[in-house]
Amino acid sequence: MRETDPQKWSALMVLAQDGDMDAYQSLLLGVTPYLRAIASRAHPNGSDVEDTVQDVLLTLHEVRQTYDPSRPFKPWLAGIARYRIADRLRILGRAVAREVPLDAEHESIAASAQSHDALDSRPVNAALRALPEGQRQAIMLLRLEERSLKEAAAESGMSIASLKVSVHRGIKALRRLLGEGGE
Amino acid sequence: METSAFIKTLANAAEPVRAIQRPMVRTVYWLLIAGAVLILLLAEHGLRSDIANQLRNPLFLIGTTASFLTSVLAAHSCLVASLPDRSRFWLLLPLAPLAVWMATVGYGCLTNWVSYDAGDLRMGTAVQCFATVLLISLPLSISIFVMLRHAVRLRPTFVTLVAGLAVAGMTSSAMALLYRLDATIMNLIWNLGTAALIVIFKAIFGRRVLKAIAGALKG
Repeated sequence: MRETDPQKWSALMVLAQDGDMDAYQSLLLGVTPYLRAIASRAHPNGSDVEDTVQDVLLTLHEVRQTYDPSRPFKPWLAGIARYRIADRLRILGRAVAREVPLDAEHESIAASAQSHDALDSRPVNAALRALPEGQRQAIMLLRLEERSLKEAAAESGMSIASLKVSVHRGIKALRRLLGEGGE
Repeated sequence: METSAFIKTLANAAEPVRAIQRPMVRTVYWLLIAGAVLILLLAEHGLRSDIANQLRNPLFLIGTTASFLTSVLAAHSCLVASLPDRSRFWLLLPLAPLAVWMATVGYGCLTNWVSYDAGDLRMGTAVQCFATVLLISLPLSISIFVMLRHAVRLRPTFVTLVAGLAVAGMTSSAMALLYRLDATIMNLIWNLGTAALIVIFKAIFGRRVLKAIAGALKG
């Protein structure tokens, strides 16, 4: 059974602090929709929302001794949610900064460049040769030789940011040159 | 894991817990620990030899009172701000006495510049002072970290930083009662230097220490 009335959450939390498992389960089930609503305002992605909700519930569990029964429960819960949402946004932000997103353009080239046979085809070689040096080098290192950004940067002397830009522009140019259309 | 299954797991792990005391009560506990440490040190070392003169010195009185107030307010503010439903602005509470404390240290440096005495820099005194700083700050640090262990999951960085300020303020107040440190350089080292070291150390390692304490007390 879930308790959705916020007025009763405080009483359930007091019972939970005393070790009442049913009251605790009812409380956690009851607060979940509220937490989901808060989390979904920050995360458009459904799985991020559920991860955040579970993280908030876990933190609630770990710090449940900090709830003061003489104070309202909802601000206490909202405080925990605020920290966990901010943490997750930071983690997601760091992940996005580290990753190079693969879009349809990258996929199509990667698929055709899976084996070196594909590279033997004259049009691809010619198109690669037609690219500016920086773009060609970026594609060779990152896509064909599958080096990491760090390794490619060390080898080419280019910064990671310019490698990302070069590979992106190079693939666009390749698609244009090979007549596959583009943006 | 589905959220409903996750909730069931948490509910099954719901052992009884004792709600922590209010921040004011915990601040008093911490001050009692500080008082006990100070009494032990006074019994062992005694007050500084010129305490009677110093008690008539407004700069000493203002500076020591400000460092003590900084410590009390910093301890209270970090204990309050470590709770999820309290504002982080509580952490600004010790700023006013901190400003006065720092101002008296700076003023003391200027006025005592001429009284610089190489004798105050003897190694033996310095080592003894350092040992006393450790003796005071260690139990105070451990006790406040134990009280703040739940903060590791909430806002550990700023809370431990202000906890460091609480320990630094109390250590400085105690040192002012125990040692003659009125030469400029010693003043700087023991007031600003010690405070900065304790605060920086806690800012860097505080999070890890809190995690370790929380883990140890759980296990």
